[in-house]
Amino acid sequence: MKEKLEAIKAAAREALNSSSTEHDIEELRVKFLGKKGELTAILKQMGSLSPEERPQMGQMVNEAKQKLEALIADKKAEMQKKATELKLKSEAIDITMPAKKISVGGLHPINTVINDMIELFQSMGFDVVDGPEVETDHYNFECLNVPADHPARDMQDTFYLAENLLLRTQTSAAQIRTMETRKPPIRVICPGRVFRADEVDATHSPVFHQLEGLVVDKGITMCDLKGVLEQFAHEIYGSDTKVRFRPSFFPFTEPSVEVDVSCSECGGKGCRVCKGEGWIEILGAGMVHPNVLKCCGIDPEEYSGFAFGIGIDRITTTRYKISDIRLLFENDQRFLEQF
Amino acid sequence: MKISLNHLKNYVGINVPVEELCDRMVMAGFEVESIEKQGEDIQNVVAAKILKITPHENSDHLQICMMDVGQAEPVQIVTGAQNIHENDYVPAALHDSFLPNGTHIVAGKLRGVDSNGMLCSGEELGITESDYEGASVHGILILKGTPAPGTDICEVLGLDDTVIDFKITANRPDCNCFLGVAKEIAVVLGTEFHPPVPSYQTTGGNIRDLIRVEVKNFELCPRYMGRVVKNLRIKESPEWMQKAILASGMRPINNIVDITNFVMLETGQPMHAFNYNDIAGKQIIVRNAAEGESITTLDGKQYNLDPSMLVIADGERPSCLAGIMGGKESEIEADTTDLFLESAKFRRDNVRHTGRSLGIRTEASGRFERGVDINNVAFAMDRALQLIDELDAGDIIEGVYDLHEGLPEDRIIEVTTDKITELIGVEVPDDTIVSILNRLGLPTIANGKHLTCRVPSIRDDVEGRADLAEEVMRIYGYDHIIGKPMRGEVVRGKKLPERVKCDKIKAFLCGAGAREIATYSFIGSGAVDTLRLAEDDSRRKQIKIINPLGDEYSVMRTQLTTSMLTVLATNINRKNTDGRYFEISKRFIAKSFPIAEQPDELATLSIGVVGKDEDFFTLKGLVEGVMQLCGAHTQYEVSHEPYLHPGRQAAVKANNQPAAVLGEVHPAVAAAYGIEPRVYVAEIKLDVLLAINKRKTVFKPLPKFPAVERDFAMLCDKDLPVGELEKAIASGAGRLLERMELFDVYEGEQIPAGKKSVAYSIWLRSANATLSDKEIETATAKVIAKLEAVGAELRK
Repeated sequence: MKEKLEAIKAAAREALNSSSTEHDIEELRVKFLGKKGELTAILKQMGSLSPEERPQMGQMVNEAKQKLEALIADKKAEMQKKATELKLKSEAIDITMPAKKISVGGLHPINTVINDMIELFQSMGFDVVDGPEVETDHYNFECLNVPADHPARDMQDTFYLAENLLLRTQTSAAQIRTMETRKPPIRVICPGRVFRADEVDATHSPVFHQLEGLVVDKGITMCDLKGVLEQFAHEIYGSDTKVRFRPSFFPFTEPSVEVDVSCSECGGKGCRVCKGEGWIEILGAGMVHPNVLKCCGIDPEEYSGFAFGIGIDRITTTRYKISDIRLLFENDQRFLEQF
Repeated sequence: MKISLNHLKNYVGINVPVEELCDRMVMAGFEVESIEKQGEDIQNVVAAKILKITPHENSDHLQICMMDVGQAEPVQIVTGAQNIHENDYVPAALHDSFLPNGTHIVAGKLRGVDSNGMLCSGEELGITESDYEGASVHGILILKGTPAPGTDICEVLGLDDTVIDFKITANRPDCNCFLGVAKEIAVVLGTEFHPPVPSYQTTGGNIRDLIRVEVKNFELCPRYMGRVVKNLRIKESPEWMQKAILASGMRPINNIVDITNFVMLETGQPMHAFNYNDIAGKQIIVRNAAEGESITTLDGKQYNLDPSMLVIADGERPSCLAGIMGGKESEIEADTTDLFLESAKFRRDNVRHTGRSLGIRTEASGRFERGVDINNVAFAMDRALQLIDELDAGDIIEGVYDLHEGLPEDRIIEVTTDKITELIGVEVPDDTIVSILNRLGLPTIANGKHLTCRVPSIRDDVEGRADLAEEVMRIYGYDHIIGKPMRGEVVRGKKLPERVKCDKIKAFLCGAGAREIATYSFIGSGAVDTLRLAEDDSRRKQIKIINPLGDEYSVMRTQLTTSMLTVLATNINRKNTDGRYFEISKRFIAKSFPIAEQPDELATLSIGVVGKDEDFFTLKGLVEGVMQLCGAHTQYEVSHEPYLHPGRQAAVKANNQPAAVLGEVHPAVAAAYGIEPRVYVAEIKLDVLLAINKRKTVFKPLPKFPAVERDFAMLCDKDLPVGELEKAIASGAGRLLERMELFDVYEGEQIPAGKKSVAYSIWLRSANATLSDKEIETATAKVIAKLEAVGAELRK
């Protein structure tokens, strides 16, 4: 009987090795382990054994059965694994095929730049305000210390809608409206559209954008102005950018300065971008003119402030190296998609 | 203001190279537009002596010259010129030299003969007769005298000057002249300033016997001075004066005209000379022009005048447009013998106004517009007479007309040094402040920290401590300002709620694949016709720009669709055939016409869509997204926009307010923009949406009880909008309705003609309990009843 058991085991192992489908294995299982299987048959013959032999033999048969079951399970698992692998292999795709199109839109580059600036100035505690684009002479000129016969009016060619109504030539007009409605301390920026009667060319547009900044408080000095503009320059042009003040003239600030930053292209050595100067002019600024403060009902002896006006379009064209300002208003999709 | 550096040195010590001078002037507030060095573009050209001339064997016009160029050996140069002789001194461009037109001269062979350079004409050296006598002669320039061979030609020709173009800011008209700039240079470099001190001899007589001068309008002419000069000796002005005038971009004419121009350039005060003998009635009257008067100016043009314009008239007619241009009649000519010389101040806005209305702008009018100093009027007159005397240009008659209604006193500013430095944030030593102000011509006396500063009228721009702070700092140096971080109470910068909402709308549209565009706020006046808007459409009430750049930019837009169609057209034209675009900008709505007050500027959103996968409903999806973001309850209605397809457009109400129009663009309108494919546009009144107060979000518990889904398939008239069916379903299902979904619309086989089959899935749910069969049945029955009421019949 023992010999028979060994023979069955050997036969099963051999059959298992040579079977190649799940079906073969199932047949094998039935043949050896099924109700009418060979091992079962041996168990049935146990009755003919002596009581001493019986437990010994029983254990041997059970061991053989367990072993056989494990072998079958392993074989089955192996085959399933192979089948899955085969299926996955057959399902392989060409990952270089084009993606299903999900369009990504985007902001106009001007507004991307404006948003960056808003974020920066907001973090320094500046409120963001708006002003009307159609302004009165009073807000655009008179209160900004540019009386009717002032030659500074020549600096800005103005679009007029009526004798007293015009398209604002500068966001500075919003300074006045802010100072009329708020009391110091004031810390605001006003980004927006401005207009000048300039013929359109690669560097001029009759519609462009500025960001006006205004701070009014007790004891504000030009050092505060420089500090804020340095923050700005570091954010926009890189953290090693230097800021230079150059005396200039604007009717609504005194002292007035042109603000230059070290050329980010050459680091200040002088190159084509900065025309060999090492510096690039980026904005005008200054201490709010006492007449402007007075016009808004703020005592210039008690309070002082600074204001600056940043040309957004210029910064946009410099940042993205856009050669022609007209591209900003043409809205060609191939242009817009680059931002 | 272009100035000769050589000439500047007559007034001020300049002890630094021109580049450093310019850098330092820039940092003191005088931008430099250009630095032109005369002869800078001439390189390696020297004076040379012709030792020997021999004819060229293979040419009938070339000559071979042996030249002494200051080197050990003579140099051979072949030339085609015929005006040269042995022992002449001429300019020779040596091997490897450059001429002003960029020509690079190198040694070579001319018809087989070595030529180691080129002999030059005046033209080739870029000079004219006024630079050097004989420069315009055809042929080689023959040099005067016997310059040492080898001397740089620029030195020989006197091309050693540098012309600096300073940009003078509008607040400093006093620096629009040689003396003004020289004074600033003296302060910047710390050198001496030597202005001319006028003095002259008169030859007797009395001006009052010769002419009567009267000012009728002191308002427009606060000061008028007149002198008479007789027995003019008109000739060329001296070389130094011609050079100074030329450097500043004016042409020398004769000594008298040159003196008036030179004095204007030197002092900033325009002068005018009248031919005394042409002055009718020997009277000069400063008055407003009379109605119907006209004048023919120096340039021969005739202008009709009106009474707002100030003229200098003689006894009969206007003889000069005050401060702008002289009249042809009284022009100084080569045979003029006597003159009347004017130095005056005219009010700047009047000069500006007259100049603008007549379309004339001159060197003089520009200066009057920027403002001249009333006290400088006299200085300039004296200076002109000094030059007339020194150059022996005529006999100065004794006596002067000096008409004014009082001259201004110096302005006194009382201030402390602390008040000055307070604005700057930099400690400047008190004595430095005082010293800078004094050097700048603002005499200042210090008493401890207290300053008394006397501001002469020529520095009218200095009004108070802020101006003094600027004067001090631009000389002390802005480099002293050290940036300080923002200080004050820590606050968070806030955005206006409208901007926050717009940012969200933009983010949504970008996420939906749309590109933001930016277009001009003004459009062509005819755009409303292209949109086929009705005659009484309120969007035709556009605000006109008085001085537009052209008709296509002539009115403020009342809608954004025109701009959107232009952008769509541009893109389609350039084969960008698929795209979604949006713009948030303003529409300008006048409160009344003619416009007298600021218009309403209303936030507007425009969306445009084109592409093969786009249709009305993708646009509708974008619009609905925006509405939802703003918390609007929407209602779609049939609309009748003339620029949209009559069967494919809708008006949207947001919380019962008209808020948007959307649709496919009418083919006729699209064609007018050159657009072929179907395009879809929406115009949304953002002002309406931004005003909606979105309800605060409060969490609703997720449903605990199951929903019941029921499908309804029905037949209805083809033309019945599904919106009607949805209203019926909603009212029938009542509060139990969770949602509904249209899943099929079908027309065709098996459906009777004129009908369509529509199928909805409906989900019913109660928040409090599982729905009973009875509840479901009741609700379903109600839905069916409501559907039947609008003409839909359930399919069995």
